Amino acid sequence: MTTTLTDRYIDAVVRTVPEDQRGDVGAELRASVADQIDARIEQGEEPGAAERAVLLALGDPDKLAADYIGRQLYLIGPRYYLEWWRLVKLLLWIVVPLGAFGIALGQSLAGAGLGAIIGSTVGGAISIAVHLFFWTALVFALIERAESAGTARGTLQPWSLERLPPENPYSGARFVDMIVNVVFLLIAAAALVWDQLVGAVYLDGRWISLLDPTLWPWWIGGLLLVMAIDAVLNVIVYLNGRWTVPLAAFNAILDIVVAVPAIWLLSQDRLLNREFWFAVIPAADAEKVYTILSLLTGFSIAGIAIWSSIDAFLKARRAR
Amino acid sequence: MSETDFLETHLQELRRGTVVLACLRLLAEPGYGYGLLEQLQERGFDTDANTLYPLLRRLEKQGHLTSEWNTDEARPRKFYRTSAAGRRLAASLTDDFQAIAAALAALPAED
Repeated sequence: MTTTLTDRYIDAVVRTVPEDQRGDVGAELRASVADQIDARIEQGEEPGAAERAVLLALGDPDKLAADYIGRQLYLIGPRYYLEWWRLVKLLLWIVVPLGAFGIALGQSLAGAGLGAIIGSTVGGAISIAVHLFFWTALVFALIERAESAGTARGTLQPWSLERLPPENPYSGARFVDMIVNVVFLLIAAAALVWDQLVGAVYLDGRWISLLDPTLWPWWIGGLLLVMAIDAVLNVIVYLNGRWTVPLAAFNAILDIVVAVPAIWLLSQDRLLNREFWFAVIPAADAEKVYTILSLLTGFSIAGIAIWSSIDAFLKARRAR
Repeated sequence: MSETDFLETHLQELRRGTVVLACLRLLAEPGYGYGLLEQLQERGFDTDANTLYPLLRRLEKQGHLTSEWNTDEARPRKFYRTSAAGRRLAASLTDDFQAIAAALAALPAED
């Protein structure tokens, strides 16, 4: 017996139908296809052409089989798409920056070169993001299928009015924000000046500074100037009532103006006071601990600057 | 998308439920896949075979149709018939459709 196109088509359909319905679906479809072909032949069509036309009209066998057994032809349908997308956005915001930061810190501590650090950080961040997309999509695709097998309907967590975005999101431009920031800047400025002019710590009968004493007066003076501008910026934001994109951009420039020279000085071993740190660290490990300490300082400076910049832009966006 | 594409999409959405209703009403008399397809087309319900066949199966699964294989003829065919639940569903759908038709008729005139 030769295999006809119809046989092959029906085989292709029932292949993905559950075992117990296969015979029934196949037999019914075979009769229906034969009826349709006969009708076309009656109207004068050539049998081969009639068969082709009927099968072509029925379309992709996998699609027909999915219609027969009610299998959905998507990974995540409209019912769960929004839940999934909210979760992905949240996770991307949290996990990717933390992961990238961790990779960069780990690579630096392990003594990797700058190229290797950037390479593995970017590569790591991309791979974390891809993993987030993949695994959340997999979980939601499984939920989608588990639910359609059962009877439950509706989203995971029904939407309610309580989930509306807050009317007055935290603006970061309240009076108390301004005061806290300005007071913090004043304390920091006083600490810097004290550290340079007197020394922060009393050790072995003399005062000694944490930061390299040669930073005084020009480097520290420059920093104090930038901090003064930052204080003014905070007042402007308060008076303006909210962060705007230009203000956030200015804030980002201030962050860069502080962080880039600080990290450069650190890389030249001109930021921290070597004398002090070697005095407090046990001699045997001093060089190693000092290197790690420098790296941690550098990453903290970079982390704080990046966070401060992003935070201001986020507040500007929320305030729109 | 062209204007005819839009028209096609909207017509499809408008007609979606009517095929179900037509099947439930026509299958008061037992019928089989292709026979029903022809009947639907004769009566002005433009339906594709690959929509109708799975639909019959789904309605059967929901208990709105019952089925029986007829092996008396040379070509065995699966015959469907509207069940009691199917008749109740058809009555509800018909009522609703008439309500919609009345509501449409009561809309402001096109001109």
